[in-house]
Amino acid sequence: MARLSGEELSTLQDAFTRLLADKCTEEQVRSWMEDRKGYDPTLWKAMSEMGLTSLLVEERHGGAGAGIIAVERVMEQAGSALLGAPLLASAVMSVAALQASGDEDAQSRLLPQLASGSLVATLLITSPEGDWTGKTLGISAERRGDDWVLSGASGFVLHGRGADCWIAVANTDSGPALFEIEPSSHGATCLALPSFDHTLVLDKITLTDTPARQIGDVGSGWQSIQHALDLGLVALAGEQAGGAQRILDITVDYANIRHQFGRPIGSFQAVKHMAADLIVEVESAISAARQAAEKTDDGADDAPAWRYLAGFSCADAFVRSAADAVQMHGGIAFTWEHVAHLYLRRSRADQQLLGSSNYFREQYLCALGG
Amino acid sequence: MTEQLPDVETVRQEVRAWLEENWNPAWKGEAQEGPNRVAWLTQVVDAGWAAPQWPKEWFGREFDDARNRVVREEFARVHAFGTGQDRTNLWINTLLAFATEDLKKQLIPGLMRGEVEMCLLYSEPGAGSDLAGVRTKAERDGDEWVVNGQKVWTSGATRADYGMLIARTNWDVPKHRGLSFFFLPMKQPGIEIRPLRQITNESHFNEVFITDARAPAANLLSNEGDGWKVLVTALAYERSYMGEAARGPRSGNRVKMAEGEDELIALAREAGKLSDTSIRQRIAQVIAWRKLNDLNTARAKADLEVGTSASIMSLGKLAMSRILHETARLRTDLLDAESLLEGSENPRAEDANFLALNAYFTSIGGGTDQVQRNIIGERVLGLPKEPEIDKAVPFRDVKGG
Ligand SMILES: Cc1cc2nc3c(=O)[nH]c(=O)nc-3n(C[C@H](O)[C@H](O)[C@H](O)COP(=O)(O)OP(=O)(O)OC[C@H]3O[C@@H](n4cnc5c(N)ncnc54)[C@H](O)[C@@H]3O)c2cc1C
Repeated sequence: MARLSGEELSTLQDAFTRLLADKCTEEQVRSWMEDRKGYDPTLWKAMSEMGLTSLLVEERHGGAGAGIIAVERVMEQAGSALLGAPLLASAVMSVAALQASGDEDAQSRLLPQLASGSLVATLLITSPEGDWTGKTLGISAERRGDDWVLSGASGFVLHGRGADCWIAVANTDSGPALFEIEPSSHGATCLALPSFDHTLVLDKITLTDTPARQIGDVGSGWQSIQHALDLGLVALAGEQAGGAQRILDITVDYANIRHQFGRPIGSFQAVKHMAADLIVEVESAISAARQAAEKTDDGADDAPAWRYLAGFSCADAFVRSAADAVQMHGGIAFTWEHVAHLYLRRSRADQQLLGSSNYFREQYLCALGG
Repeated sequence: MTEQLPDVETVRQEVRAWLEENWNPAWKGEAQEGPNRVAWLTQVVDAGWAAPQWPKEWFGREFDDARNRVVREEFARVHAFGTGQDRTNLWINTLLAFATEDLKKQLIPGLMRGEVEMCLLYSEPGAGSDLAGVRTKAERDGDEWVVNGQKVWTSGATRADYGMLIARTNWDVPKHRGLSFFFLPMKQPGIEIRPLRQITNESHFNEVFITDARAPAANLLSNEGDGWKVLVTALAYERSYMGEAARGPRSGNRVKMAEGEDELIALAREAGKLSDTSIRQRIAQVIAWRKLNDLNTARAKADLEVGTSASIMSLGKLAMSRILHETARLRTDLLDAESLLEGSENPRAEDANFLALNAYFTSIGGGTDQVQRNIIGERVLGLPKEPEIDKAVPFRDVKGG
């Protein structure tokens, strides 16, 4: 893979910043919240044209081959703007699962479309209870002659309803395998889940004897999903770091202009110290997310440990920043109209999305040999 | 005095018998509103149970703390409401401390019976922590005061008959000295009420726009310019309630609990996490905080006399804030992915998320945790006050926003 040069990366980031400022304003995010669709197709198209959907895809499949380092940076910006588009679901996790599957045919069919953004895919990973460890899969696959049919359910599917292609991991007699499902297929239903973060599109998908196409080898399905989860966790950490940084910036700006007792509230040590504590969290989150990306890109032995570290420290930094931001704003942030709770909701969602902080903390210690 | 009081057991028998005869358990949800509320409160007042500690003049029995507690216990035993107004009725306590005899006579009976509804007109967009910085103004016009300005965070504004108003009556003196405190009639043309949408997606509060609204001169509490003194007393009452109780979950979901068991323990068991040591430690800690806060509050109250307030009551609200935020975090950690959801189909997640948001009600409303810490440091511990740069300046010259 060809890493982007520092200059290429910052050109890309500048362009994305401008796009987000134009097409992902707070007002727009709120309008997508109302009908819970998370994003706007014209924004997705513009992102695709900018190459954001192709970052992870190899050049031979029409991608930029830029790798996870660039993805992480771009996700920082997405988090900062509370973007609800399927970057994580489609351009990161679905792409990663396909890449790990080793299925040349599926890759050459799907990756170019995923890279160009013309196809949106999402993964069906967890059972309806929400378990990203692979211990319990919600879907099982059964052979019907040369074909497969799938039955069962998967919960917490990102952008299930907007996706053109679902990629499920399902149990077979010989272990887990990946399958491609067309959402309009027989027996497939998609139910919108009422997510606490209204910018987050989450669905529950139920399958009953639904025809599906095998991807990769039977038995190695979970390895592909694990790779998707690994890269997904790095991307999510980027989103969290970016979100944490933005809500801290918003709060510090406010602390400079809001006056009580004839002086800016930021001049009170109680407020100033909270902000100082938060920047330690935020900078640590950025370091953790970027380190996890570098190590993952390098394929380093200690990459898993760095990912676990990012998994909880970025999640916790975001939750704490958003939670303290509400406190530091005072009553105004207790209103629906104020932006702070959108960050608080997103941070609480992100803290659970691919596994909880508590889970990653435990994994981290295990990875350190503890 | 005490010699003439009936003994504690006699009091208990008397309340119990009275409740048995008069209380209908079906009314227990009507403490805030409902068709039988006023009739029931009237009965309680007439029987002398509404505020047993108060003098007979205010429908009391001049009970001491021990007897008063027995009345509360008996009411609580059958889930009846309406007693304990000597402790919890903010409006009447404020009137008793500061109003003229006429105003007390005019308002207290109706307040006790729940016929007169109230709201608070304190905070403004530009004056929250710095309440002495309010810019709503009241100007004397013959026998009346004319009020103009804007208030926020007013709950119950649409139902209220009166609002306890803090307003500026003098702009040429430093901020604390130019304030006055009124009972402002709310049902008049100069009052416009707009609902606020809360972080919890509910709407229990309002903005109140006041344009040339009028209050009779007799509705001034204490003297013109003494508003800050009245407010400090009233606020301490309010904060002490916030230290004792807060709103619980809203889903109505009930987890299976053994007799006397704490809900957190039951929730952890239901989530299959009761053997998780890190969860166990945190549950133990938060329950302990709760119990200790109850003990602190009880101790602070025993020292309190009717119509006064003590700074030590500020401790409870700060402690409660920590309890509520940590409880919400714990409930979230019990749920993992489930906490991504909300709504009535997901009652456990609904509760965890709602409580995480509503915890700010206690940590911001009624004075933020940061301000509470200042108050505790300065008034309870006697630490030096932080210099207040606008304290000696005529309010006219103070920068707002
Ligand atoms: C749910 C809710 C219910 C409420 N109910 C009522 C009500 O019934 N009646 C009513 O009148 N008001 C009510 N309020 C308003 C409430 O009292 C104020 O929101 C609160 O006092 C904070 O004021 P503010 O919102 O203007 O924030 P600000 O005063 O602007 O505070 C912003 C930040 O600055 C900090 N800060 C300010 N001053 C200091 C200082 N001196 N030292 C250290 N830190 C400081 C605060 O802690 C906060 O973090 C309610 C508010 C909420 C959220």
